[in-house]
Amino acid sequence: MVKIPTRILLVDDEVDFVEMLSMRLQEAGEKVTPAYNGEECLKLLEKQKDHIDVVILDIRMPGMDGIEVLREIKNRFPLIEVIMLTGHGTTESAVEGMKLGAFDYLLKPADFDELAQKLEGARERKDEQEARIRKAESRLLVRRTGGA
Amino acid sequence: MEEMIRILLVDDEDSFRGTVSKRLSRRSIDVLTAADGREALELLDRDPVEVVVTDVKMPGMDGIELLRQIKENYPDIEVILLTGHVAASDGVEGIKGGAFDYLTKPVELEHLVSKIRQAGEKIRWRRDQRKEAEFRKRMEQQMMITERLAALGTMATGVAHEINNPLAIIRESAGWMRLILGKEEMAAVPRRSDLELALNKIEIGVERAKRITHQLLGFVQKDDALSAEVDLPMLIEESLGMVKREAVHKGIEIVRDIQPLEKPVYSDPYQIRQVLLNLITNAVHATGGGGRITVVLKSVQGGVLIQIRDTGEGIPPEHMRKIFEPFFTTKCPGKGTGLGLFVTRGIIDRLGGTIEAESRPGEGSVFTVTLPRRHEIRKNDIASELNTC
Ligand SMILES: Nc1ncnc2c1ncn2[C@@H]1O[C@H](COP(=O)(O)OP(=O)(O)OP(=O)(O)O)[C@@H](O)[C@H]1O
Ligand SMILES: [Mg+2]
Repeated sequence: MVKIPTRILLVDDEVDFVEMLSMRLQEAGEKVTPAYNGEECLKLLEKQKDHIDVVILDIRMPGMDGIEVLREIKNRFPLIEVIMLTGHGTTESAVEGMKLGAFDYLLKPADFDELAQKLEGARERKDEQEARIRKAESRLLVRRTGGA
Repeated sequence: MEEMIRILLVDDEDSFRGTVSKRLSRRSIDVLTAADGREALELLDRDPVEVVVTDVKMPGMDGIELLRQIKENYPDIEVILLTGHVAASDGVEGIKGGAFDYLTKPVELEHLVSKIRQAGEKIRWRRDQRKEAEFRKRMEQQMMITERLAALGTMATGVAHEINNPLAIIRESAGWMRLILGKEEMAAVPRRSDLELALNKIEIGVERAKRITHQLLGFVQKDDALSAEVDLPMLIEESLGMVKREAVHKGIEIVRDIQPLEKPVYSDPYQIRQVLLNLITNAVHATGGGGRITVVLKSVQGGVLIQIRDTGEGIPPEHMRKIFEPFFTTKCPGKGTGLGLFVTRGIIDRLGGTIEAESRPGEGSVFTVTLPRRHEIRKNDIASELNTC
């Protein structure tokens, strides 16, 4: 069976990190779009919200920080899952992030297998969520047509 | 009620000793008696008193000599000399030798009582002074430790930020190379095993550096992070779960002595988990096959007590003082950072608890942690202030 790639938006201000991790994820069969700050991330999502499953988001970035970006994402694109990544001792922001609806978080340097596992989990949750919405919609539709 | 005071009355005249001691006893003064200097010193050896009242003119050792010996051996005891009417110079000499005061015989009882009381007050005052000085010194030491921890916390933040990011790049790059090397088209690459060996070493190196930075990061977390109801039995299970594989592999028995807590504990669960994990990991490392690790949890006055006991190799007394210092480790390079207990102590300090270690080399070690039921959050910690960006 061919693996359906997870469509990832990778957001980190560390250019070399984004480059290497993108290559690795792509090699593992995922589809990666890079972004280097929060503003760029949100702009990209605006344009391609139906083409992104999971955002991997660095918490600490100059400009808009990861938590703010996360809040925006969950507000505007609630179906997109977010995995937070941090190079800093900011477990409490990670906890805050979880409360805001992030799927999970990892501390840098993260273990690739662990990241892959979390990506899979996030992807599953998104698929389930979408399936549930589709089901609810079709039920609504049935009821409406049934009533007519 | 006047405070009871204990004195030793030394005089070679039996009748004087008898009457004076009887009358003093009625004034809530507890009196021991001795007939000469030698007997007095013997008594002091066994039975401590606060004040010695001694006659100066005595056969054998005189009062001045007795004073000298008392001051030498029991500097805390105050001495009141009783001198003859014509021998006031004895009294002066006595004062020079450190006597509290001298009274001339015949002694008026009221006068003697009030002198004894004054001497008692002086002793008490000196004791209080000393206690206060000790207290101040302890506080200063505590402050020094706290400041050191804060400074280290600040540095750790910087180190973590600066190191973890490049570490992530190194790790991803090595992972990438490994991936390429695994491709079919690379099957015939020359010296493959050399390349793989080098990649291994890079990955192990990254892991090692990561352990240091992550350990330090646990330490830096802000104080105002959390104060939530903590499910200690669950945290203990979680931490035990993380070392289970190693423990089973080594054949270590894990015993739980977990008592239901009377009242909930409010603290920072993440930091407590790190404490538990550090202590349990240490115990597993120190314990060999057939050993046992016991985790105790119980309520105590004002909080909870957590104890991690092991039947491992123990800690030699000369290491005991150093185990909480940063980077002290007896483990091989790459195996231990020597930060575990340092960080643990830092965390417990901030959570308002205590930690103590006891050990018998060859028999095992006990680490006892107490945590208050409610942890007061110290907001303006230097480290946490500098940590907010
Ligand atoms: N339960 C124990 N039994 C015997 N020795 C111990 C125990 N706990 C700590 N020690 C001693 O104290 C030293 C310091 O412990 P600490 O946890 O700070 O660092 P470490 O365990 O060496 O390194 P790390 O925590 O990074 O693995 C250890 O190297 C060991 O010598
Ligand atoms: Mg340790």
